[in-house]
Parts: sequence; C-alpha cells; structure tokens
Amino acid sequence: MRTRLVIVIGVAVVIAAVALFVTLGRPGATGAASGQTGPAPETSWGEPDLQGIWSYDFEVPLQRPARFGNREFFTEEEQATLDKERERILNQDDRRYERGSEQDVGGAYNAAIFTTHKPTGRRTSLIVDPPDGKIPPLTPEAQKKRAEIREFQLALLQPTDVCKNNLQGCAGGKFGPVSPRRAETPPHYLTAAGAGGPGGGGGVINRSDNPEDRSLGERCMAAVLPDFGGNTGFYLQIIQSPGAVSIFYDTAQGQGWQRVIPVTDNPHLPSNVRQWWGNSRGRWEGKTLVVDVTNFSPKTYFQGSYENLHLVERWTRLDANTIEYAVTIDDPTTWTRPWTVKQEYNKQNDFANRHYKEPRCHEGNYGMAALLVGARAEERAFAQGRGPNPATMCTAGCGGFNAGFGDTGEESNPLTR
Amino acid sequence: MRIRLNASMIAVAAAAAVVGAAISASVTQSAGAPAPRAGDIAGRPNFSGIWQANNEAHWDVQAHAARPGAVMQPGVYPFEYAQVAAAPVVALGAAAGVPASLGIVEGDGEIPYTPEALAIKKQNAEHWIDRDPELKCYLPGIPRAMYMPYPFEITQSTNKIHMAYAFATTARTIHLDEVDPPPADTWMGHSVGRWEGNTLVVDVANFNDKTWFDRAGNFHSDALHLVERFTLATPDVIQYEVTIEDPKVFTRPWRISMPIYRRMEPNMQLLEYRCTEFAEEFLYGHIRNEPLVKRWEGETMIVDITRKVPPGDKFYEWFRK
Repeated sequence: MRTRLVIVIGVAVVIAAVALFVTLGRPGATGAASGQTGPAPETSWGEPDLQGIWSYDFEVPLQRPARFGNREFFTEEEQATLDKERERILNQDDRRYERGSEQDVGGAYNAAIFTTHKPTGRRTSLIVDPPDGKIPPLTPEAQKKRAEIREFQLALLQPTDVCKNNLQGCAGGKFGPVSPRRAETPPHYLTAAGAGGPGGGGGVINRSDNPEDRSLGERCMAAVLPDFGGNTGFYLQIIQSPGAVSIFYDTAQGQGWQRVIPVTDNPHLPSNVRQWWGNSRGRWEGKTLVVDVTNFSPKTYFQGSYENLHLVERWTRLDANTIEYAVTIDDPTTWTRPWTVKQEYNKQNDFANRHYKEPRCHEGNYGMAALLVGARAEERAFAQGRGPNPATMCTAGCGGFNAGFGDTGEESNPLTR
Repeated sequence: MRIRLNASMIAVAAAAAVVGAAISASVTQSAGAPAPRAGDIAGRPNFSGIWQANNEAHWDVQAHAARPGAVMQPGVYPFEYAQVAAAPVVALGAAAGVPASLGIVEGDGEIPYTPEALAIKKQNAEHWIDRDPELKCYLPGIPRAMYMPYPFEITQSTNKIHMAYAFATTARTIHLDEVDPPPADTWMGHSVGRWEGNTLVVDVANFNDKTWFDRAGNFHSDALHLVERFTLATPDVIQYEVTIEDPKVFTRPWRISMPIYRRMEPNMQLLEYRCTEFAEEFLYGHIRNEPLVKRWEGETMIVDITRKVPPGDKFYEWFRK
C-alpha cells in the first residue's frame, strides 16, 4: 500500500505538508470515521440524529468546469487524471513568480498556509441546479454593484506592477497614474477579494487606510453561511436537543462561528433586525431538517448577494457516516433564478474530537495591526523621501499562487479552470 | 487476572448502560438515578433553553458599593470614596457607573490571592481599559461567560451538552463521553461532565492565562481548574456553583454561586453580538490613516471627548450664557 496523505486543516499539519510530497489519497487514514457504515440513527427522543463532527472528504468545485457540459459525474479515469494533474502542479518546487516581485511574496504566504487539498470527488460541481452546474447570471442591479466595486478596485490598482505587467489581477483595467479615487470612500461596503470580480488574495482594495479597507478574512470575520469549504475546509459539530439543533462551524483559520437553529413555527426576526449569519428557523419534514434563513446583514457577502439572501437548507442523515446538505439559494435582486448546491458531509471520529473552537483568529490578529502600522510607516517614509509612493505598491488583488495553484493557464487549478 | 476480569465486567456494564440510556429516556432507570420527569434527556434533567445571570458579578465578583464610573479620577476631595468618573467614560454620564452588589463569592467574600497575585489584581483594576480582554472582544473564558450580561443557550443531548454564548459568538462543548484532550491551552477551557443524581458536574481545565473573572481585574493563571455544579432549582432557575482552584494565584480553593434564570420572553432567541467588528476602533483606531487619536503623551493616546448640545436644548441654555 502506498503512503497516503490527506491534508486537513491545522497549521501544524500544513507546515509538515510543505516539506512533504503532496499525494491526493482516498480518505480514511486521518480523522475520518471508519469505512463501515450503518443505517441513519435516531436520537433517544425519536428524531433523526444529525449529531457528530462532520467534514467533507472530497474536493468538488462549486461550479462545473465548462468542458464537462451538463454531465453530473466524473468517470473514475477523469478523477484519477485530475488528481494526477493537481499533484503535478502542487509538487513543483520552482513554481514561483519572479523573485522579489509582489506576486512572489503573496504566493509564498499562500503556499505555506493554504495548501489544503483533498482528492477529487465524483461530482463535477456542487451546484446541482441549474443543470449546467453554474451560478445563474447576475441581475442588471447586481452587475452594476459589482462593476462599481471593480472600477474602484482597478482605480487603486492601476499605478502598481499588477497593471504595469498586465497580470490577471488587473483584468479589465490598465496601467496609469495614481488615481484621485484613492482618497475616496468605497462605493459599497467592502467584503471579500472577489466581490468586484476577478483578483484574489489579500484585501479587497489596494489600500490600508483603515481596517475596513481590508477583506472580512483579514478582519477575522470571513465565516459565511452557506459555507462550502474553500481553501481552509471546515469541520462542523452538531449537537441536538428536542426543539433545537446547534451547529458550530470550525472554519476559516479560527474564524469559526455558531448557530442554534430553533425547531419552531415562530416567525423570523422583524425585518429591521439583521445579522451576519441571518436568522434560522428549522422544521422536520420526515427525515430532513429544513431550515429557512433570512434577515442577513448588508455587510454579509455571498457570491454577489448581500442582505436579500434567502436560504432553504435541507439536512438529511443518509446513513451512519453521511449527511446530505442541500441548500437552495435565492436573491431576486442578485440572480436571475434560484440555484441549488448539494454537498455530502462525512462523519469524523468522535473520540479524536478534531474540532477546534480556538485558537481564534481575532485574539491573535497581529496581522491587521502590522498591516496598518506598516502602511503608516510607508507613508512616513514616502513623505520624507525615503521610499516609494505607497499607492504604487500592491497589497490586495496582486495575484500570485492561490492555494498552491497559479492564477491562469497550465498552473491553475484544473477543477476551477 | 481478577482485576482484569472486574475491569472488563465494568466496561460491559458501562456499555450496556450507555446503550440503555440511548434507547429510552423513560422506560428503565438504573439504580440510583432520579425518577423520570417529562422533558428529561436520557433520564437526566434537561437544561436546554436560553439563560442569563441577573447580577452585578460581571462588574466585580466581590461585594462592592456603587461607584460613579468604571474608570475614576480624584474629585474635589482627596478621599477615595469621593472620586468622580474619569475621561474614558465621562461622556456616558450615569450610564457609566458601576452598580452595587452583594457579590457571588461564598464565605467571607474574600478571594484568597497570594500577596504577589493581589498586587497584580490591583494593577489590573487600575489599568482596566488597557488590560481587560472583554474590551478587546477576546473569548471571555469560564466562569466569566456564565454571568456576563448576555444570554447563552444550552443544547443538551445524551453525550454532549453545547453552550452557545451571545458574547463574541463563542461556545463550549461539555463532553459527557470520553474524548481526546485538546492539543493546546484554551480560552474557554476543556469541559468534561458527569451526572451526580440530578446535578450536572463539569470539570474544566486546559485554560490559558489570558481570561479574567470580571471587570475589576480578578484573574487566574494557566493552572486554573474549575468544578462547576448545575442544578435545576425550579424548571426556570439553574443553581450554579463553581469551585475555583489555581495554586499559582490562590492560596486555597474558593467558591462562587448564583442563580441563573431562564429567558421567558415569547420567541426568545440567541441573537448575534459579533464584537470582533465593534472592537476594531478600540484596537486599531490609533493606526488609521486619519485616526481619532488627537495626540500622544508618551505611551498614552489622547482622544478628545466632544459632546454636541442639540440646538434649543433648554437644559444647557442657562449654561451657555
């Protein structure tokens, strides 16, 4: 049997992984429960039992790569080919941008922290509806909002190397002088790097005047609902009582969060009460927990949607080791139609208890302080003629290797290419 | 040989008990277990619901008189009892005071600090704003999370009990089953529970030394060890008692106790208090591009407190003349 290594989250594991050869093996060796399964259990009070620690053992892209059309499943050969291709890219020793460039610095951080990779799953996309496996088109209103954010991002990126060298982060823009827009308030509340369109890594806009200029991730507020994993993966812990289902999401590098879903007919919160993770109302439909989520905050961000996001989640224990999570995502102000995502959660070992509510990102967020102090130091140095204009340096949207993959071409992730 | 046999018999009996408990909450009760009640979970009292302490312990766990401000400065008189609210809280007026309390510390009400630890506690109190982890929205730790002025929700199952706290959207799991201990020290501790009749007894350890007991600077080290006892006094009141042990800071164990009340409002639910965001101005305001900080005096940042009198406000009319 060849040595298998499933890389899960946890900095210690990731650090070890950097020095090792990355092999995308089938799960079972690490935290996962044994391969044996049985029927879906019930709680002692007779409800479907969703309890335990859960994660997902296979990587499935959110959107289906176009080359697979309307096909829902990969063949086994395709899975093997994709894993081989991903291993090849991840194991190249010299996949670096030009030494000393901002992309090289950004890539080094990503390579050390975000090489969380699992073997390719059977599904060609997490999205099961629409049939093409793609997020439906944005409404004109949402396109306008996205374009306004993108325009602001590009205005701040235009004097940097990213635009000078016409890298992916500058897509849609061109090299130019420092824009007067750098002094402006952003046109919308800033959230995630991708909120304006392409351009990954770091903050939302190329500026560090305030903590609010940086991404929710850098502010230790990255956790979103729904969460499909992404670069850091997640572990859920579910604990039930009659009338309530409690879930803690161990996600996004210590940015975990929790929800207690009441099983109730009571109405949602008044519409002026808005929350980062919305307001959940659960009910049992046969074996399935159906949760209706509304009342999101205008500061939340999910794939272009903000406060009008409406989720209907369906949690079903298929067997002892599997939960099927299906969520229908709707926001008529953002998408032209609702869409549905399905993800399978795999039960993790209860005794190993690999579920960490800490260390929390916020308590150790020296990064934000250092970013802001650094920006102030650069401004002072520039004012005293000792350094370059900070406006011409890139700290957000600069590109670089993301989760071990390049931005475009042969080095990019074949699952999202 | 005999010992091994006994051990395996106990293991079988324990496994049978667990299976039995999981099958039915009400059919059979093992010897010594309490009589079944409606709503019990596996034959034990059900603490599920939304709860909140209703006392002043979050200000100061010890008995204290009311004081005019959480931060104070000398007033016209030189006496300590005649101090007035100081700049950081003066803008809040009477809302910035600290209410009086009988305290929650049992016995003589003293916390048995070692002399060195008592000196640190006093410094903590003087530097409350700069040192209290609550102000930074750090995880509050146990027992502090239990009596902060925010609700928390208990989800009780057979093998685990989950406590979700509104403050900082934090949580802890009380393990009634056996799990691997945490790989590092924690802010919220590692909680292992067991039943003594109708009382839930929780042993909490694996703490770091970063959390406090209150806003008065009462603190502990990473040797903190708690034994909590939860008892339903009525269906809507938990009697909560904690034995606190920390040989690095205290000369002997000491105890706190208080009732914790069920939140009875219709449609009561745990709402978010995601203070990570609220603490940003506090933590990073001085390193903004255009900070509110007016000037620095050594290591002290000076922030002006300005108050705009509404035009036509009668209360200030005479004052302006």
